[in-house]
Amino acid sequence: MSAVPTEQAATSKPAQRPGFSLGNPWSKPRWLTGVTWVYILWSLLPVLLAIRVAFNEGRSRTAIDGWSLKWFFGDNSFSVFGDPALQDALTHSLLLAGLAMLIATPLGIMLAIGLQRWRGRGSGPANVVALLPLVTPELVFAVGLFLLFTTLLTTIGLGTTAQVIGHVTFSMSFVVVIVRGRLVTVGPDVEEAAADLGAPPLAVIWRVLLPLLAPAIAASLLIVFALSIDDFVVSQYLASGADTATVPMRIYAQARAAPLPSLNALATLMLLFTLLALVLAYVVFRFMTRGEKRGSAIEQIASIDSGGGR
Amino acid sequence: MSEGDIRLEGLVKNYGDVVAVDGIDLHIPSGEFFTMLGPSGCGKTTTLRMIAGFERPTEGEILLDGVDMSSTPPHKRRVNTVFQNYALFTHMTVAENVGFGLRYQKVSKDEAKRRVDAVMEMVQISELGERRTSELSGGQQQRVALARALVLEAPVLLLDEPLGALDARLRLDLQVELKRIQEQLEVTFIYVTHDQDEALTMSDRVAVMKGGKIEQCDVPQKLYEEPNTAFVANFLGSANLLSVEARAAGAGCDVILGNFTLKSESKPEQAGVGTAMIRPEYVKLEPQGSEGENRIPGMVEEVVYMGFHQDVRVRLANGDLIRADVPNDGDSPEYEQGNAVAVHLRAANLRVLDNYPDQAADETVEDADTAAV
Repeated sequence: MSAVPTEQAATSKPAQRPGFSLGNPWSKPRWLTGVTWVYILWSLLPVLLAIRVAFNEGRSRTAIDGWSLKWFFGDNSFSVFGDPALQDALTHSLLLAGLAMLIATPLGIMLAIGLQRWRGRGSGPANVVALLPLVTPELVFAVGLFLLFTTLLTTIGLGTTAQVIGHVTFSMSFVVVIVRGRLVTVGPDVEEAAADLGAPPLAVIWRVLLPLLAPAIAASLLIVFALSIDDFVVSQYLASGADTATVPMRIYAQARAAPLPSLNALATLMLLFTLLALVLAYVVFRFMTRGEKRGSAIEQIASIDSGGGR
Repeated sequence: MSEGDIRLEGLVKNYGDVVAVDGIDLHIPSGEFFTMLGPSGCGKTTTLRMIAGFERPTEGEILLDGVDMSSTPPHKRRVNTVFQNYALFTHMTVAENVGFGLRYQKVSKDEAKRRVDAVMEMVQISELGERRTSELSGGQQQRVALARALVLEAPVLLLDEPLGALDARLRLDLQVELKRIQEQLEVTFIYVTHDQDEALTMSDRVAVMKGGKIEQCDVPQKLYEEPNTAFVANFLGSANLLSVEARAAGAGCDVILGNFTLKSESKPEQAGVGTAMIRPEYVKLEPQGSEGENRIPGMVEEVVYMGFHQDVRVRLANGDLIRADVPNDGDSPEYEQGNAVAVHLRAANLRVLDNYPDQAADETVEDADTAAV
């Protein structure tokens, strides 16, 4: 650390300090790579362990104990596909995720277009409010919704409908962020160009705007799916009984009562669904925007901050 | 009346308190290559967007072939636009882009294909039909944008700085080509640019705009040779601007510059203190002691080598600095700093500008300085 660049130049010795780059600004930052890998391994370790337990032979959820698939498909009534309660939870989770995806995406697209176009008084606060669910503590949000459905909107009440509304509400913000990023990339000119060439307003939307937004729409669908299927707090507060229990709820409840590796098997399946949705979202987005000159999908989503004003 | 006749009457556009376009009256006859030239923020693009229908005028009328279309939506106007950043549809192929507008016209499939092929051939992109637009170079994208607008055969084509994003060589090529296409199709072109070379080389007429108003509108040669204001003189080419006093004398006027009295063939609207303009290429340097009218002694202060010409800056005896363009043609003498010369400001080329009362004198001088760089 004592070596100052000028001194190094004077002694004309090349500054080679392998593995430690603070003294040598030209060396590769190997220690950064090291830190990154340690972090990745550390964050994956518990997940990998949990997955491993799902394939246990024995009944233990705390020790690794042989190999089998019996907690997935076993004929005993404790496996994922043997226990009707676990199966119901899986079906309900998929139903919620599917509905949330199909409702939140179109609404979010409309909101994104509206916010993008809206200039002048009120547009600033509206922009903030639309993104508020991204930072609101989920518990606060869930308690609020719970009160709403038990006191004001008693006609809806708790249950599947309330759960869907809850999931749609918080996942819409993500759709807004993704779609607005894409709108910034596409720019306002193409719509004007289409109108200029004779396309009536509806045709502008169908033939130009929506096809250009397609990658963002696909990404939104899958991300809403992943968010919804993962959700615990909102689902829990708005559930009305055992028939509206989702997979995360079931795992939480059973982990305290009768812990068996079948819970890990269920969690593994959830992880698989979520990962599939995210990978699919990424692949579809990349495929649909292939050949366009731009950065990564993440950069594009991030560009909403810098390029928000058109 | 032939098609493509555009008339703007008292056109005004306000954005809140900001006046973008401040009362424009224009008549662009059918088949003219008309250019709106000005710095950014002068209202030229807003005017174009109002003709296209993307903006609604606050006041005034836009007449196409005598019919007011200021409340017609853009998709029903018989004008087409070429955008500065092309605005191509990236999810379509080149041929689909070009054929886009034909879908909304009563055109048979065969006819549409024939027209797409014809226009793609005209702008020389025939072999690119199946490509995606993202695979094209900037110049090719510009051609697609042009073809897409031309295929509809509207009587008026609006071009918003279409060459702005291209490099210098390509611009020159496309300038020639745009002019050729315009002459071939006899379509009215309304062209917006801040590039004086584009305006001068292609246009039949040019309107120089400033602050939402038309400063002067005329054929390029007239604008260059006989600018009415210091702004126009500076925006088109470079100009020497001198603070003078003009006195009416015969067909022209006398120009008082310090202790010197010069002749000018121009006749300003009003006599008095004002600005005289002469282009650097008309400033002739002669050996010290040359006799005759309109000659002022001076001393060379700086010589800048510019390739095909030299930019010689001469301090006149009255204290003004004037630029002379001396061609590097092998015949002209080479000047050095400190040479004593006589500067000949020919009466035919020395022009007293119209003196608008709202034009502050110091602003004129400032403009002159920036233009001299």
